[in-house]
Parts: sequence; structure tokens; C-alpha cells
Amino acid sequence: MMDDNWDLAPPEAYFRTPVAPKTLDMRSFGQGNMSRCLLSRVVLSSRHRVHLVGRAGTIISVVLLTTMASGEEVPYNERIRPIFAENCLECHGPDEENRKGDLRLDLASSVKGQVIVPGHPEDSELFRRISSDDPNKRMPPAETGKSLSAAETEAIRQWILDGAKYQGHWAYEPVRAATPPPESVSGDIDRFIVSALKKQGLALAPAVTRQQLIRRVTFDLTGLPATWEEVTSFVNDDSPRAFEKVVDRLLDSTRYGERWGRHWLDLARYADTHGGSAIGFIKFPFSYTYRDYVIQAFNADVPYDRFILEQLAADQLELAENHPALAGLGFLTVGMQFRNKHDTIDDQIDVVTRGLLGLTVACARCHDHKYDAIPTADYYSLYATFASSRKPPLLPLIGKPEETREYREYLAELLRRQKHHRHMQREQAAITRSRFRMQVGLYLREIARGAPEFDTSIAFISFRTEDLRPRLLNRWRDYLGSMSEDDAVFGPWLRASELEEEGFRESCLALVEALIKENGDPGKWSDAEMLKMGSNAPRWNPLVLDAISRNKPESLLELADVYGELFARAHQRWLGVLSEAALAANAEENVPDEDSSFLDLNSPVQRQLRTHLYETGTPTAMTDDLTARVLNRPFRDLVRDRKREIENLHLQSAGSPARAMTLQEDEKTDDFHVFRRGNPIDRGEVVKPRFLQVLSGASAKTFTDGKRRLDLAKAIVDPANPLTRRVIVNWVWQHHFGQGLVRTPDDFGVRGRPPTHPELLDYLATTLIEDDWSLKKLHRRILLSDVYRQGSIENAEARTLDPENELLWRMPRRRLELEAMRDAMLAVSGELDEKRGGRPFDLLSDPVVPRRSIYAFVNRDIVSSLASTFDAPNPSSCTARRPETNVPQQTLFALNSGFIQDRAVELAGMKEITSAKSDAEKVRSLYQRAFSRSPEPQELGLALSYVQSGDGESKTNVWQRLAHVLLAANEFIFVD
Amino acid sequence: MNPLHDPQSFSRRTFLKRSGMGFGTLALADLLSTSNLTASETHFPGTAKHVIHVFLNGGMSQVDTFDPKPELTRRGGQMLPYKNLQTERQTGVALPTPFKFKRHGKSGIPVSEIFPHLSQCVDEMAVIRSMHAELPNHELSLMLMNTGDQRLQRPSFGSWLTWGMGTGNQNLPGFVALCPGGLPVGGAGNWKSAFLPGAYQGTHIDTSKTDPREIIQYVHNDRLTSLEQKNQFKLLQTLNNQHLDARPSELALEARIRSFELAYRMQMEATDAFDVEQEPEHILRLYGEGPQNRQLLLARRLVERGVRFVQTWHGNLQPWDSHEDINKAHRKVAAECDQGLAALIIDLKQRGLLDETLILCTGEFGRTPSVEMSQSGGGSVAGRDHNHWGFSLWLAGGGIKGGTIHGATDDFGFQAVEDRVSIHDLHATMLRLLGFDHEKLTYRYAGRDFRLTDVYGSVVNRIIA
Repeated sequence: MMDDNWDLAPPEAYFRTPVAPKTLDMRSFGQGNMSRCLLSRVVLSSRHRVHLVGRAGTIISVVLLTTMASGEEVPYNERIRPIFAENCLECHGPDEENRKGDLRLDLASSVKGQVIVPGHPEDSELFRRISSDDPNKRMPPAETGKSLSAAETEAIRQWILDGAKYQGHWAYEPVRAATPPPESVSGDIDRFIVSALKKQGLALAPAVTRQQLIRRVTFDLTGLPATWEEVTSFVNDDSPRAFEKVVDRLLDSTRYGERWGRHWLDLARYADTHGGSAIGFIKFPFSYTYRDYVIQAFNADVPYDRFILEQLAADQLELAENHPALAGLGFLTVGMQFRNKHDTIDDQIDVVTRGLLGLTVACARCHDHKYDAIPTADYYSLYATFASSRKPPLLPLIGKPEETREYREYLAELLRRQKHHRHMQREQAAITRSRFRMQVGLYLREIARGAPEFDTSIAFISFRTEDLRPRLLNRWRDYLGSMSEDDAVFGPWLRASELEEEGFRESCLALVEALIKENGDPGKWSDAEMLKMGSNAPRWNPLVLDAISRNKPESLLELADVYGELFARAHQRWLGVLSEAALAANAEENVPDEDSSFLDLNSPVQRQLRTHLYETGTPTAMTDDLTARVLNRPFRDLVRDRKREIENLHLQSAGSPARAMTLQEDEKTDDFHVFRRGNPIDRGEVVKPRFLQVLSGASAKTFTDGKRRLDLAKAIVDPANPLTRRVIVNWVWQHHFGQGLVRTPDDFGVRGRPPTHPELLDYLATTLIEDDWSLKKLHRRILLSDVYRQGSIENAEARTLDPENELLWRMPRRRLELEAMRDAMLAVSGELDEKRGGRPFDLLSDPVVPRRSIYAFVNRDIVSSLASTFDAPNPSSCTARRPETNVPQQTLFALNSGFIQDRAVELAGMKEITSAKSDAEKVRSLYQRAFSRSPEPQELGLALSYVQSGDGESKTNVWQRLAHVLLAANEFIFVD
Repeated sequence: MNPLHDPQSFSRRTFLKRSGMGFGTLALADLLSTSNLTASETHFPGTAKHVIHVFLNGGMSQVDTFDPKPELTRRGGQMLPYKNLQTERQTGVALPTPFKFKRHGKSGIPVSEIFPHLSQCVDEMAVIRSMHAELPNHELSLMLMNTGDQRLQRPSFGSWLTWGMGTGNQNLPGFVALCPGGLPVGGAGNWKSAFLPGAYQGTHIDTSKTDPREIIQYVHNDRLTSLEQKNQFKLLQTLNNQHLDARPSELALEARIRSFELAYRMQMEATDAFDVEQEPEHILRLYGEGPQNRQLLLARRLVERGVRFVQTWHGNLQPWDSHEDINKAHRKVAAECDQGLAALIIDLKQRGLLDETLILCTGEFGRTPSVEMSQSGGGSVAGRDHNHWGFSLWLAGGGIKGGTIHGATDDFGFQAVEDRVSIHDLHATMLRLLGFDHEKLTYRYAGRDFRLTDVYGSVVNRIIA
């Protein structure tokens, strides 16, 4: 059923290079559409497409404009699919449950002959409905707040007229090696770009100067400014390979990993705290090891496929026990720590699919994806893949720690605290289990009432001693559910459960009478006989039968009380007997075990009851770990405090060695089910752990038990997977050009935007394999292109034709992000501490810690105002592209923050400034440090007149104030 | 002229969307003189333009304030007939309210004696007695009240609103959270923007500080004299303009230059807005002393200047969380804000601002009518536990029908039973008053169109004028 959705003939239009019309064709841009666009909330070219429903028009790009004008067939992918996706698929799409009228518009087989008659729009129900004047017939219905513009309706009419040809969604089609168009420019990348520009009569912008180029590429690859020496050396290098040498030098610099690692950490929603905490926050002791792993991986140019394998399954790659790459698993484990496992797994599914595949699989948690061919079963296949993994009790060390005094102290203290925790947990668990055995009646009552099943993972109200534990209730329910009706103790219960409410008392007594008869001679079961050692117990437990006969329960609820009472007594007796038996050890007279005082101990009838309380696998015989989750509040706090002491030691001890935040996978697990509507207790079909059907077909192979994550990782990096390579080359492209070729870097699905240069995208995806998945080689290809060297100069004519600069007629102007801005200021003031890796420092501390910002502590619970002011990524969720806002807080920071003024003081106080021979020399030096260039004569004059005019008595000197101006200036923040 | 033919208009709008947040939009009208795009883009004309959310954090007890229950008094000391209404801690017998109730105003809405000032304003207020939340835990219920979701990080109401409407003052933050002396439980998470851009996050202001220059970060330069700053600023903008001249028509550069001008001006204007002491004596007297009353006055000053959403928190952690001795504890917290609350309504009204300012006053949940069993064994046994099954809140202004009581709890005030109102319903109703269809105010994130009300919520029309 799924196949024909994407397994269509390879779409020619997919490879059509975007061509903007010479003049805008009003057929595609009716007035109605225009006003909708104007009012729309669409943040164009943003990862988060923002809109108010009912106002947002379909995103219109040059790519989409092209076709209508050229008089060619209306291509489904570019023109029709977006209309369907935005307006129709919610009710007529892949989501089976919410589908209306059994109609899917995304599937040729569903519409042809039904609502579409190819070639005949007027006979097609689809067209009649979208063009109907009757509000009761018109689609989309008014209450959805959606409506089609005249242009959209016309496009659909034309498309039907052309034969209503469907195409597979471009992103699911195989990557195809594309030949660059024959243009007389130097590189392959240039050929693709220039060819598309030429069709519009456009060209690349003139190249930037060498000074601008080295400043651009140095920020780009290292997040730091080029030094004056680097600039002059490049400017004076007349070798034809001069720029290549610069690129190679920067790629070899360890600063590269610190820059690009930070980009990756956005995607990996990296943070140093758990998140979601009420008061205060909890720190990860070892999150930094993942951050350092990422930096190291970029610096070492770990092939991208290997990089993914390590981040998803380093524990399954048969690495040495303390291998540093184990820390790569932080990709899965540094996410937000939710209160329940479902959300934690959801977060893992999201970061893997959106981050690595550009698919919004998390949408399929509660229903089939409304737009993309991702059924709920796929979501739960991935759920099953991750749900079988958990954190190991103690995280593995990275490398071998040095045997220092601090380490030995740490180790001793660790053992001590672990012991405390273990003891505390064992004892609290023992007490709690003992209480549960006194409360059997409580649970049987719930079962008798027919209480629904609980989702144990979201039971977060803290427990009181008398509270029902959903987890234990489920255990009792399962236990009784799988019990034989012939069980000596619960047989009567199970049989009584089937009795009618009406006349329960009588029928229950009759039942018991019958069972007593089956037991035979009641005299044989008199107290004395019954307790005789060595006797075999009768078929039905006489204590149970006796208690029922005496209490004459009126209902199953009352019968529950009878059982509860019996078990409570059995448990109490057992505790008493144990105590007595223990005392015998120190008794003056030796009491033989056969003594009559031990009758209870040896009674087979009592044992029948006790079996249900103490035997492994019975509901109340929970492990310490399991019991720890259902302790009452004071107990839980005690155990938690001990646990926290261990974590604190990891976090604070000087000798605490680095550990990898790994996972381990269970070999055997229960079956996993679809949760209907995302509800964990409403289980649907059983799912197998396996890859997405849209990428590997409905018959994708089941992942190997114990290596599910590894199999997933392999499926992701399988060269046949069309998404992984496209997504990563797009991501790299985006960080060089500010925009990806696909402008929705985390949504390659049908509601994402199609690539501006599909052939170039595939070309890059193809070369990635030729380059053995080397990202550094990919950088080189991109950076050595003419496209990369072009200036960022506005061009009114080009802007008219291509308002979003999709064709790249100029280099988009880049603004330094928070980290680069801060690091650049520290570099310019000569303070930057080049220390790499290790535990995080506080970004806001005063005096400042002059380390690179990537090493700063990232608080997921309390996002600092600095972070939110300067568009730092949301540390709780995968960010493929940061928003870029412009708010006065940013400029207030530039005007008044202590940070920037302190940097200015340092800069003005540098030896090369203070020892300069003249004021002009000082100004020159300041410019060279701050802007990687010398001042123009006019600028020099301006600066000199500023420093020489003087503002009278002052706390700061005028050179500091001048330095402050340079650090705050646009030229500092914006890169040419 | 057709804006699409204007080479700049496309990117101007793109750019504006990324500019107009937090401390206001960047002179929208100037930059977009050819378009009719305004800061407020609602679905239909709303009555309310601003929101003041007075958060009684910790949880106000309904049976001691707005939901009198004679039956509770009659049954005082007896066990109440509930089986399955679990709250956070164990509670025991019925605890009658220690407060006297009296009817007030033309509407005759009963209010307890702990709100002597506020009770004079009942004819402006709509009291909802049938609120309910989902769990009796502070942090989860705070999240639910603020973001519509108690489990996952979602944008707060104020973030949604400033995103949807923009702000009315470019020199001030659009969304402000006032809290004296610390942070409420959940901290900044209560005013987070989640997947909305960070600029829509609420700006926290510690109202125990009184010097406005300490209140807003970086709003004051304490190292430079104003002359020095002026000269320095002149040089900075000269350099920036020269830089721009060499890169003509570059919007991003232009925008930052504008932003500098704005920031420079803000140094004066923002300090002004936060300086409550500028109010005349009779207004200061009207609101009364103390940080809670004073921050309500500050809320008015901010709303008056165009701030979209002001949240005032009673204090750090959970001041209304009266687990012990409801008599003493509730009396104290009510006395701290009663006068200011009444003053806020009166003051907004006399300025003609009440019609466009929606006031919401609520905790994250209510409290049990039964007494809380002391945890330690000692201490007082006259407190109340958390209660999400039923609670009261009130709204005023912004198109609310004054003098209304909506919904009811059971005989003892434990559980909402009649015309029950969920937090989603509350949000939907507030958005309606602000001009938004809650089902259509959506934001696409990670492939899904998110709503403040998720898939729930219906408007409570009966409290709308």
C-alpha cells in the first residue's frame, strides 16, 4: 500500500534547474495571493516557518515561479504538492485515522478515476470542489481557515489538464550523480551556480578582496578573526595556491573543531544540565566529554559515516573498554532528562531523524504523519530500537586515569558513597516490600473494581505509604491474569471473579462448599493436622476456604479484603517465625528445627500462601531497583540523596576522571507495541525494531537484538539512503552560505522547501562518498569555489528577480553568532586562553574566564539572558538553524556591558598599542587587531580627532573608549 | 504599488520578522512605509490589547476567598465523603474557613474578608469557580497554567502573545515577568519561549530592587559620563554609517544602526518606565506600600507604555502555598496584594485602560477543603493541601463581563462539577478576547503546527461582555 506513494517514475522536473521568469507572470501571482503573502507570518528562509493559519500562503520561491511562466507542464513536485501539503493533506493524506472520505490526494491510485479525470478538470470532482461557489461543497472547508488562491486553483486546473502526473517526493528519490553544466568557470560547484544565474541574465558578484576573503574564511572555519600577520602574508603570497594554503592551514587548526563542533552541538541539543527542574538544576558530571568528543571528531576529520556510527552505537562497535569514541553516545544521552522514558525516547527519535535525516518523524507519535509517508508504526519501530537501551550503572572511564593522589582519594570516596547508596536502597526497598505484602488486599480490591491499567512511567506524584503503586498494581494484574484456575490459593478467587454480582454471597459460598468437598475429609485439615510437618497440602488451600466460609463476602471487593487479611496475617506470621527461628541461634538450649514451635515454619498450607508473596516473579518480590521507583516520599528522598552524593562526587572531585555517557542495550526485551494516540497504555499492533519504511521499504529487515542501535546507524549511513548525505552536505553548505540549498535543513519532507539547486545538492552528496565521507574535503570543495569568493553586494536588479537570493547572486552577509562574537573580542584583546576541553566554565563569571565559548557551561534549565538575547539555540531540542533576531538588548550589550568595556580596556592596554610611536600608529594597530585591516586616511583622521579632542576628566582613557567603539561597530560583528 | 515588485519589500519583511521582538519592534512603520503591516495582526478585532497576569503562586484557596461553602462549615471536623480525590499529601477532616464572607457590589458576588479592598471591585470581575488542572504538583501545574502543557517545554502565554501581536512599545520588552526577591518555582521556565525565537522570552525583573538602572540589564553605563558616551556614540554611528555607505542597501547593517539609536534612547526611556517613584502621591497611596502592591503599579505603568504581557508573581518560590495555618498564612499574603489589586482595577479604569487590559488573577491550582495532616507530626494542623480538582480565579477588564460568577464546585468546594473550565479553556477564552482564534494561532516547529491549546480548549463565552 505504501509503495506507490514514492515509487513513481523518476521525476524529470526534479532535475530542472530553477529558472526565474524574465517577467513575473500574473497567472501565478493573482492579487488574492499577493495580499495573503503580505499578511502572512511566514519567516521566509527560516528553519521555523512561522505562520498564522489562514494567512500563510504557500511559500513562493523563485523555483516555484519558474514553471508557470515558461509554458511547460505544471510540475507536481514544485507546484502542486506544496498546495496539497499545505491545504489538503491534513484530512486527505497519509494519516489513516483522520482521513476524510477515504481520499488521499498524495497518492495517484487514490485519485485517478475517483476525483480526478486526467485531462479534464471540469469533470474532476477535485477541481469542481475547489472551485465551487457553494460554501457547503467548497474545499478546503471554511472552518479549516484554509483557502486556495486563484493562482493555486488555476495551477491545479492546468495540472489536471496536463494529465495530473504525480511524481515521487524529491527527497526520497535516490541520489543521482549529476554532471555539472558546461560553463567556462573554474570549478564544478561554480558551473551549477553560474549556469542557473545565467538563465536569469545574472552573474556572480565580483570577488572580495584578499583581505576580506581571509577574514571571511577564518571566521567561517575557526570562529576567530584573521590576525594582521595572517592577512599580510596572504595578501603578499603570489602563489596560485595561496588561498588553498590558507584553507588547509585553517582546516588543520584545532580551532576548526571548536567552531564546527559548536555547530554540531546545536543539532545535538547539547547542554550541561538535565532540564525541566523546578528549583535549581541538576548538572551532568560528564556532558563535557561528549562536547570534547565532537570537537576532536571534527578536528580528526572522522569520516561522517563513522561519526554517526559512533554517536548512535559506539558501545556496539567492539571498541576497547575505555575508548574515547564511547563518549560519542552523548548524542543520545545529553538530551533533556524527562520524567518519563517515553519523552526521553521521543527526544532521541527527534534528534536522530530531524537532525540526521531531515525528517520530522516525531510527528508520527500519536497518529500517522499528516504529510509525509511516516506511519505511526515507523515511529514505534524506532521507539523499540531505543527503548531496549539504558544507562549503565557506572559510566565507563575514558582512557586510563592517572594514578594521582586526587584520583585515589576520589576512588575511595566513590566506593564509600556507592556503598551508602546501595545499603540505603536495599534497606528502604526491604521495608517497602514488606509493607506491600501487608497491602495485598488494596491491590486485589482495585482489580476487583476493574480499575484501568496505569501508565507507570508518568506516575510522578510522590507516593505515600498507603498509596496504590500503579506499577505494583500492573504486576498483580499480570500475575493473576496468567495464573491457572487450579492454583490452590487463587483458584477460588479466579472462579469467584466470574460470578454474577447479583447473589454473589450465595454463589460464592456454594463455590467454596464445592471446593471443600474436592479437598475431601475436612477433619484432615483441622488445625493440628494441617500444621503437621511433612504433610502435603490439599488441592485447595484450606485457610482460604475457611476464611471465605467464615466471612461470607457479599461481593468480589469483600473477597479481596478476605484475601488481603489472609496474606497480611501470613506475612506477619512469617516475620514472627523468622524472628523466633533466629533467636534459636543464641538460645541456651538447642531447639531442634523439628520442634513443634516451628510448626508454622514448616506448614505446607502456610507455604502455599507465602509462595505468592516471596517467590521470585511474584508481584511483591520486586528487585531493589524496581522497588526504588515506588518508595514513599521520605524513603525516596533518602535514597535519592545518597545517589546525588555520588553524582556530586563525579561532578566536583578534583580526581574525578572523565567518563563517557554511554548506553547499553538489552539482548532480550519484551515486545513493543504501537501506542495508540501516543497513549502508552493503549497498545496497538506489535512493532519490530527496524528502519523507516519510506527509506527502506515495507519489508525492511528487523534490527538485530542487542545491536539495534548499530543496525539503525548502519541504515542511516547506507549509501542507498538518499537523505543522510543530502542533509549533511546541505548543513555544511548552510554554515558557509548562511542558507542551505534546502532552506528547511531539518525538514526534507513534503512540507519542507525543495532544493534551490537539486543537481548541485546531489553532486555534493555524490562527492562525499568519493571523498570517503570526509567533511574537510567537502569544505575544500566549497571554499575553493568562485561562488564562495564573491562579494556580498546588494544588487537591485537581482533582488527583483530573486528576492531571497536563492540563486546566490551574492554572498549573504553573515553576522557573528554569540560564541564567535565573544571569542573574537577576547582574541582581539589578546586575552583568549587557548586551553582546550575539560569541565565547563561559567560564561557569565566576572572576572571573565577568557576561554572559547564552546567550553562554557550550557544551562538547559535557566537560559541566560545573554543566550536568549543573542539567539543561542534552544538547548532542549535539535536546532539545525538558529533564528537571527535583531533586538536592542544586543546593542545595549555593545554600548554598556562590562564585558565589552573590559575587552576594550585590555585591547587599549596591549603592548603593541601602548608602545606605538605615534597616535596614528596606535590607531593603525587598533584597526589591524579589530578589523584585520588598516584604517583609510579619512578613518585615521576621524579617530585622531576623537582621541585628541578629549572629554575632560574621566575614569576611562580615550584609547579605551576608541577601542570600545571598534568592538561595538558593525564592521566587527558583520563579515563581508 | 505591488509590494512584490519592490525589490526590498520581501527581505524587509523577512528581516522585520526577525527584528520585532523582546524590546520591541524596530520602528516598523518607518521601515515598512509602503505596507499596511502593523504590529498587531490579530485574527479579528479583539477587545483586549494587553494582559496583566497576577500570579498567586503557591495556590489560592477557593473556599477561603471566592467560593464560600456553608456545608463545609456545617460538616467541620467530619470526614468528607471522597474516595478518589488524591492530592499531594494526606488530608483529613473538613476544615471550615476561618474567614467571614460578605456579598459585594451590585452583582452581590461574595468575597471573604481577607480582600477588603478588592471586594469593592467585584462588579468589574468575572469569578470562575469551576477551574480544574491536572495534577496537584506545583511545577507541573505552573507549567500547565503558563504554557498549556505540563510535561514538555512549550512557549508560555506571554511568548505566544508577543509573537502573535508584536509589542506596542519599541523601547521596552514586550513580555515582562515581575517577581520580587527571587524566582517562583520553575524559575525562568515559566516565561520561556521554547521553540519560539528567544527574543519572545519574558524578561524577568526583580521588583525588590528599586533603582531602575539595576532593573534592566545593560541599560546604564556606569563608567562613562553622559558627555563621553555622547561623543563615543557619535563616533560609533559615524563609523557604522561609513561602513554602510560602502555596502549600500544592506538591511542588516541598517537595522543594527537603528537598533543602536534605539538602545541609546532607551537608556533614558526604559529607566523612566520602571521608576515607580515618579507617580504622584495620591496614586502611590492608592496602591499602598510593599513590593506586591508596588509591582502592580509598575504593571500599570508598563501596560500604559504598550507592553503586551506583564506577569506579576507574588514572590519567590510559592508564597500562597499555605500548608499550615491557613488563617494566618492566607491573611498575610492576601493583605500584601489586596490594596494593589483593587487599585489596579480602579486606576486602569480611570485612565480608560481597563477596557483594553485583561487582568487574570490566579494561582496554579486551589487548595483542599479538608485539613492537611501534618507531615512532621508537630506544628499546626489547620493548613490545606494542593487541589487541582477544583479552584477559583478571577478576570477583569479587556472585554470581560463584570459581576459574573461562572461554574461551581461541589458542596464542599473540592471538585469542580458545574460548567467546568480547564486551563486550555481559559487560554482559549483569553486569546479570544485578544483577537485570536486559539485554533489558528499556530507555529510550525519540527514539522508540526503547534498551538497554545494543543488540541483542546473551548471559549467560555459566558464571561465575555
